[in-house]
Amino acid sequence: MNRNQTLSLISLITIVFFLAFPLVYAQRDYDYIMHIFITGFFYAILTSSWSMLAGYAGQFSFGHMGFMGLGAYGTALFSHYFYLSPVPTNLCTEFAIGDTYLIIKNPIGVTSSTLVQDCLTKTMAVWDGTVEVTQMPIWIGIMIGTLIGGFFGFLIGLLVMRLRAAYLALFTLGFSEILRATISAEIEITRGQAGIELPHLFENGITIFGHAYTKTDKIPPYYVMFFLLLICLSILAWLAKSRFGLFVRALREDEDAAAALGVNTIRYKIMVFVITSTMAALAGAVQAHYIGIITPNNLMLLQMSLVVAMAVIGGLENFAAAAIGAIMIEFLLELLRESFVIGGIEVDMTIWRLVFFGVLLMLTLRFYRNGLITPIINYFTRAHVASETVEIRKTSDTDDQQAVTNQK
Amino acid sequence: MIELEVKNLNKRFGGLHVLKDVSFEIKGAELVGLIGPNGAGKTTLTNILDGAIKPNSGTVYLNGERIDQLAPFEVAKVGLGRTFQVTRSFRRMTVLENLFVPAMAKDVAVHKSEVMEKALDVLEFLTMRHLRNEYAQALSGGQQKLLELGRLLMLDPDVIILDEPFAGVHPKLMEIIFGYIRRVNEEGKAIILISHQMDSIFTLCKRLLVLNYGDLIADGTPDEVKHDPVVIDAYLGTDEEDEEIEENKNETTSQ
Repeated sequence: MNRNQTLSLISLITIVFFLAFPLVYAQRDYDYIMHIFITGFFYAILTSSWSMLAGYAGQFSFGHMGFMGLGAYGTALFSHYFYLSPVPTNLCTEFAIGDTYLIIKNPIGVTSSTLVQDCLTKTMAVWDGTVEVTQMPIWIGIMIGTLIGGFFGFLIGLLVMRLRAAYLALFTLGFSEILRATISAEIEITRGQAGIELPHLFENGITIFGHAYTKTDKIPPYYVMFFLLLICLSILAWLAKSRFGLFVRALREDEDAAAALGVNTIRYKIMVFVITSTMAALAGAVQAHYIGIITPNNLMLLQMSLVVAMAVIGGLENFAAAAIGAIMIEFLLELLRESFVIGGIEVDMTIWRLVFFGVLLMLTLRFYRNGLITPIINYFTRAHVASETVEIRKTSDTDDQQAVTNQK
Repeated sequence: MIELEVKNLNKRFGGLHVLKDVSFEIKGAELVGLIGPNGAGKTTLTNILDGAIKPNSGTVYLNGERIDQLAPFEVAKVGLGRTFQVTRSFRRMTVLENLFVPAMAKDVAVHKSEVMEKALDVLEFLTMRHLRNEYAQALSGGQQKLLELGRLLMLDPDVIILDEPFAGVHPKLMEIIFGYIRRVNEEGKAIILISHQMDSIFTLCKRLLVLNYGDLIADGTPDEVKHDPVVIDAYLGTDEEDEEIEENKNETTSQ
């Protein structure tokens, strides 16, 4: 078995492990561990897609959590404001679709549960349970949120097509912060810092292979997020191997030289923004339904820093390494919550864990610029290159001499 | 037949008039040297020809198609390729990947196996076959120059601009570059060669264009240019001047 086959086997074993884990793990902290995995998968989608954007294409964007937030708020606002009713409220904005009415609630900010009631709540009070109003299917909201993220990715791609390096980073940072500030400020619609609650991924529960799961069970969201991660990684792997991957890496290395060799750099720059922002928005939309609430704090620069750190520690220029890094760091951050005592002094890790994390990031940057996982992957994929070069050199030295002589 | 027509090109950067009514034509597989002192406008002219910057006025036609308002990637597809004064290989991509970029950008339908075959041929010619899976950053400066030339072979343009291909290159590699230029020219491609190495320019080129502070001051055979008083005054200098410079150098060294 050669090294590439070994790597494929390890990948397969890893996938089987993740598939089997929820079914075989039976400790008391089951829900907690499952939650860490689900969050780890969420961050893995973010870091791997960001790795394609920053590591492969060299577009060092700080707007990724902004795109994630667009996906999350897209589905949150949709599920918060849009309902279906068999009878009109005559109070809300509504449209007849066949026998059903699409109801759009009026925004009332954070006072809805106390002083002011929205049009639908008022009407339902009058109906007194005689009419059943249903929420929109959440998959439509997830799709809308994902498309909104992709559309903004397209817009940002258009706007930054002539920006490079620090200017690009600052521009995208500005985009993300403006978005966060807007969401915070538009309390009437977004409920500001109070956040918007969302229905769970499987609000009415789900039955899989005869086993019924409730809306709070961890197994369904675990598999949803895991398969989402697998799909994203498969797409990224296909892109990386394709013409697209080749061109975006050329774009990263030298935009002018790539253009001089026939690469439409602007098109690929926009494409990479659209693809990666769509992935971030999709992850954000699904995670928001899993957690059940989205607030502007999820879009904070600190969150973006976490994604950057995860990608750097895993390996920025390899999306698989970045994804593994994200899951590892998510676990590490949880492990570091355990406080301990040294020589009678208690080290409160709820405070110190971020310091340890920062030190790990600094050490990685200093000693392993390609991250901690990339060298391992390179061992399987590129370790043979040096010896192969020497071997071919030996056999072709004579031929080369002949070629030079011929040219003379 | 290849036809590059440059007509009344003007380029200003603020108050600086970098190119002044520059006009010339290249017809067929000519090997033309473009020389001039530093700041003469050679690189600006190159950047206009490849679409990286737009002229203030004037036109450039390649094979009947106007290219002065096109983006660089479009110019490359029309048939003009270039190297850069400072080598710009894709450092964190393998040698093969460097060669794949232009071939796959030019032809969206080309099959990978065809590109691989052509790339291996190019590497064989450049005596770099053994380095095919190495990252470009692992290559020496000279090998990176060869790689840039290889990328042009993969792009297969009609007109090639080589900007200082001999700068800082080992004599052995220089022979390969000489061979490259001759082969590509014999294959029917027009070449514009920019270099400060007069020996190489006079050996290879049958026609020289001389730029001096934005003016095209000469366009002729190497012999004509060598003896043109305007060119001697502006760029080449006289043997006496060369000796004087040499003497000054020696004095400075001995002090």
